[in-house]
Amino acid sequence: MVDPILLEVFKNRLSAVAEEMGTVLQKSAFSSNIKERRDFSCAVFDKNGDLVAQASHIPVHLGSMPMSVKSALESITFKEGDMVALNDPYRGGTHLPDITVIAPVFIDGQLEFFVANRAHHADIGGITAGSMPLSKTIYHEGLIIPPVKIVEGGEVNRWILQLIKSNVRTPEEREGDFLAQISANITGIKRLIQLSERYPVSDIQFYMEALNSYSKRIMEDRINRIPDGEYSFYDFMEDDGAGNRDIKIQVDIKIEGSKATVDFSNSDPQTEGNINCVRAITLSAVYYVFRSLVREDIPTNKGCFEPIQVITKKGSVVDCQHPYPVAGGNVETSQRIVDVVLGALSKAIPDEIPSASQGTMNNLTIGGVNPKTGKPFTYYETIGGGMGASLGVDGESGIQSHMTNTLNTPVEALEFEYPFMVERYSLRDNSGGEGLYRGGDGIIRQIKFLTDVEITVISERRRIPPYGLFGGSPAKVGENILIRDGKEVKMGGKFHTRLKKGDSIVIKTPGGGGYRREG
Amino acid sequence: MIKVGVDTGGTFTDFVYHKDGKWYIFKVLSTPSDPSKAVLEGLQRIGTDQPLAITHGSTVATNSVLERKGARTSFITNKGFEDTLFIGRQDRKKLYDLTYRRKPPLVNREDCIGLDCRVNSEGKVVKPVDEGEVREVAKQLKEKGIQAVAVSFLFSFLNPTGEETVKRILEEEGFFVSVSSQIIPEFREYERGSTTVVNSYVMPKMNSYIKNLQENLKEGDSLSIIQSNGGAISPDTARKEPVRTILSGPAGGVVGAFHLGKLIGKTKLITFDMGGTSTDVSLLNDSIPFSTETYIDDFPVKVPIIDIHTVGAGGGSIAYLDKGGSLNVGPESAGADPGPVCYGKGERLTVSDANLFLGRLSPDYFLGGSMKLNMERLYKFFELYSIEWGIPADRLAEGILKVANTKMERAVRVISIEKGYDPREFSLFVYGGAGGLHAPFLARELSIPEVIIPLNPGVFSAFGMAFADVIKDYSLTVMSEETDINRLKEAFGKLEERALTDMEREGFKRADVEIHKLVDLRYKGQSFEIVIPFSDRFVEDFHSRHKALYGYSRPEKQVQVVNLRVRAVGQTEKPQIQLVAEGDKQPPPEAVVGRKKLIFDGKEYETTFYLRDKLKAGNRIKGSAVILEYSSTTVIPPFAEGYIDQYGNIRVKV
Repeated sequence: MVDPILLEVFKNRLSAVAEEMGTVLQKSAFSSNIKERRDFSCAVFDKNGDLVAQASHIPVHLGSMPMSVKSALESITFKEGDMVALNDPYRGGTHLPDITVIAPVFIDGQLEFFVANRAHHADIGGITAGSMPLSKTIYHEGLIIPPVKIVEGGEVNRWILQLIKSNVRTPEEREGDFLAQISANITGIKRLIQLSERYPVSDIQFYMEALNSYSKRIMEDRINRIPDGEYSFYDFMEDDGAGNRDIKIQVDIKIEGSKATVDFSNSDPQTEGNINCVRAITLSAVYYVFRSLVREDIPTNKGCFEPIQVITKKGSVVDCQHPYPVAGGNVETSQRIVDVVLGALSKAIPDEIPSASQGTMNNLTIGGVNPKTGKPFTYYETIGGGMGASLGVDGESGIQSHMTNTLNTPVEALEFEYPFMVERYSLRDNSGGEGLYRGGDGIIRQIKFLTDVEITVISERRRIPPYGLFGGSPAKVGENILIRDGKEVKMGGKFHTRLKKGDSIVIKTPGGGGYRREG
Repeated sequence: MIKVGVDTGGTFTDFVYHKDGKWYIFKVLSTPSDPSKAVLEGLQRIGTDQPLAITHGSTVATNSVLERKGARTSFITNKGFEDTLFIGRQDRKKLYDLTYRRKPPLVNREDCIGLDCRVNSEGKVVKPVDEGEVREVAKQLKEKGIQAVAVSFLFSFLNPTGEETVKRILEEEGFFVSVSSQIIPEFREYERGSTTVVNSYVMPKMNSYIKNLQENLKEGDSLSIIQSNGGAISPDTARKEPVRTILSGPAGGVVGAFHLGKLIGKTKLITFDMGGTSTDVSLLNDSIPFSTETYIDDFPVKVPIIDIHTVGAGGGSIAYLDKGGSLNVGPESAGADPGPVCYGKGERLTVSDANLFLGRLSPDYFLGGSMKLNMERLYKFFELYSIEWGIPADRLAEGILKVANTKMERAVRVISIEKGYDPREFSLFVYGGAGGLHAPFLARELSIPEVIIPLNPGVFSAFGMAFADVIKDYSLTVMSEETDINRLKEAFGKLEERALTDMEREGFKRADVEIHKLVDLRYKGQSFEIVIPFSDRFVEDFHSRHKALYGYSRPEKQVQVVNLRVRAVGQTEKPQIQLVAEGDKQPPPEAVVGRKKLIFDGKEYETTFYLRDKLKAGNRIKGSAVILEYSSTTVIPPFAEGYIDQYGNIRVKV
């Protein structure tokens, strides 16, 4: 029988393992994506590869971590001391810069658990620096790593590491990040072994299963409190960076008692440009929304999402197939999926759902050669915007929303390390939608380059604004502006270009939608 | 001269003083609207003609921030960066909150002003400060009724001239001014700006508070103020840099543990301070640890602060069965109102209720018996919840404690195991009221071999203050790949000189000042630094510390020196700690006040109750036992054994 006391004890202990792995990874990593932006996740799995606990670092990995472990299990026999790396979006990954490292945990010679972590590396090759290109096939996006043993019998496989390092722009940094990922897993393994010294493995496994039911019960209770019915909503991705416009994402949600069916069958087919999502991303976005509706502090595990059925059509933009490009799906389309799921739910539980947040991550990738060191660099950042307003609450301004929660790189850290000068980093007044409750404002960020650079921008909500709800106004759309030889040039949402020393880029991010008509 | 420690708390202001070789303690009701009233009343009560040497832990700065009662403050920075405090690090503190709002900064947005000036990352002035513009701003601020100003320009730690110009002009105009290059000359503009703003925001209040205290002291008395780093500073410094006192609440206890620990030969300690709503833990590995990653009410404060980890579980933490069927404890607390069930008003079970139900807390001795507890009501509520939740009452009570202990254990793991320390090499040093009820169980879970409980654990923080040295911290970002020891020594020179000059002002001879040099290091390309003592082998030390913390090191990789740190310590005269009377192995019969069957791990054990002040040095106490004293109780479970050491500390071997 499940003991409510031990249930709580294991809940704390298992989430502590995942959290501590995260600390090790973040503090010792080299990619700014990992160390400053926290674009990583750490998790514990049972021996079947089912999720037991995931530390809350970034929601975009919610649905996709379990897939990577399952995918590795299909093709690899794990031995003690092995670790497997992968990034193939079509075999358990998300987009290529996200590399997952999985380790088995053996107790007395038996494989009992897995630990894994996924981190966004600053570069994994491909046609542009930073590996977030305006790609037209997955092969443009960088090196594809199927599940391979990066560590074998406790030794790092130098050949594989060499192969990876030879395909990327900043190889030293890659090696450092891999070491940090491996160390994080070792920490996880140690803690699970220590836990098994305190409690029999059978008890731990029993309570892992109990925690699944626990999360499931709470999620079911939550869904139960949403009125039964069918709720639909759609919105668009403005373009795919390859000339195709207005790609529709539609969701049809059916609530029946404690079950939710979230159907994306009416969304557009996969597209030529990079905004496609593998199914894992779509799951993450849906899970994020439902997880946010739960107030309790529940472990993120398999049971948590069992009451939610997600339907996607193979070959659609939300369930794309090999070799369609995916670099932007993870960061941009995932935000739109959240927007439509929230939009549909706003019809069911209007008091609990906010208007649209900025709906983009404003991805800016910069590459060049640092004149101080003579070495190539790549830099990637995402910029916050406005959050949507909701009943009784104005939207927050200048903040990361929904599928990302990355920190900014401090201006002083940026200028120490890269040949840039930040000229402005401020809130963008009056960019939030009007309403009884106002949407949050976006950000204006202006960066001057002190050397020649190539830049890639992947952004959305430059044409179709974040929506308001119940009479609240939509927010202002974002703007991307280049200052070339002193002249301003307005750019689209997605572009790749070269800039000269002394040129600047100005990015104005969207606000959040307003809620209810004023007065 | 009489040493006095004065610790202002929420309910009581604690006084500890040392006179004619003896310690005295007493409590005065705090006076939150003007905390100096209680302080002065208590000092009066000491009633002596001898001069007092007072070390005071004040909550004025902390409460001004928490209650938003500081001065209207302006933030001056570079043009284009006025919103630095509003954007922060761009993240949200809660991931799954669709209506998340940040805590509003301490300054109004319209009071944030950008000046058209800039220094670059090499410390070169790209555009200088225009004095005319500053005077214009001063005029506007006056009109607005601004009292205090915080100035923080980009890269001011490399070139402070701009900030100095603004400070000079604004001080002429009568503003309270603090500048970031003086408060915390380290990189990362948001954290530095936030620290400077907190300083300016609390400055006027702290200034008048300390002035008032000073004016009311008698001739010959001296006053020093405890900082968050555990050191004392002069009232003048505290008036100028009050941010250094912002989290000084728990500092006294840690300092006390450090000094008492040294006396008994225990320099590896994990301190454990369990209060009503939360529990503070810290790890002392031969020295008092500090951190520069601290927050007050979500606002970063980068000045060095004793590294204390807090968890939301204390005596008042409420237990509840959640929707999923898991028994939770905290972070919600019953507080003083309605309080635990046993106080007669609360209707939800708390950790204290569980201890009382199990008989580990004695109703007759709770706060010396001054508080009437309603035991009948307690039993009734336990029965009700036991039926509702389907858990037998004894198991429920032990379960509440177990869950609370799991949370505290997690806190101890964060500061020990996760930082590369093995708890088996440490002793658990316990103070605060309720710690002794939980510590032995915690020690068992973490394999900590010994628990130490000092005399009067309830006023231990004030006691610790009487032992505080004068400590001043200095830092500077250098961001250099230069690891040549001689070049670094040169770079340290300036900081050291500043430290010595300041210590002279605090009344120390240069020769008597201890200087500790530290460096913040990382591998080039990382973002988090590790603080390493500066020595001939600091680079090797960094590699091995990195390995201990993160599991690997990369000796082939370039090491970057991010910050230099100097800590100046002026030793103060320490009061004597007296020995207690010696006794036999067997505790004297008059110490025994009763015997009762108590439950531990589901089994009944015959348990002896002792009065602590009747126990003598050398007495041995077999578990299970309960030791009672005013405002504190210690449990020695069946699996442990205790004895009283020569200073009266209870030492429990687990």
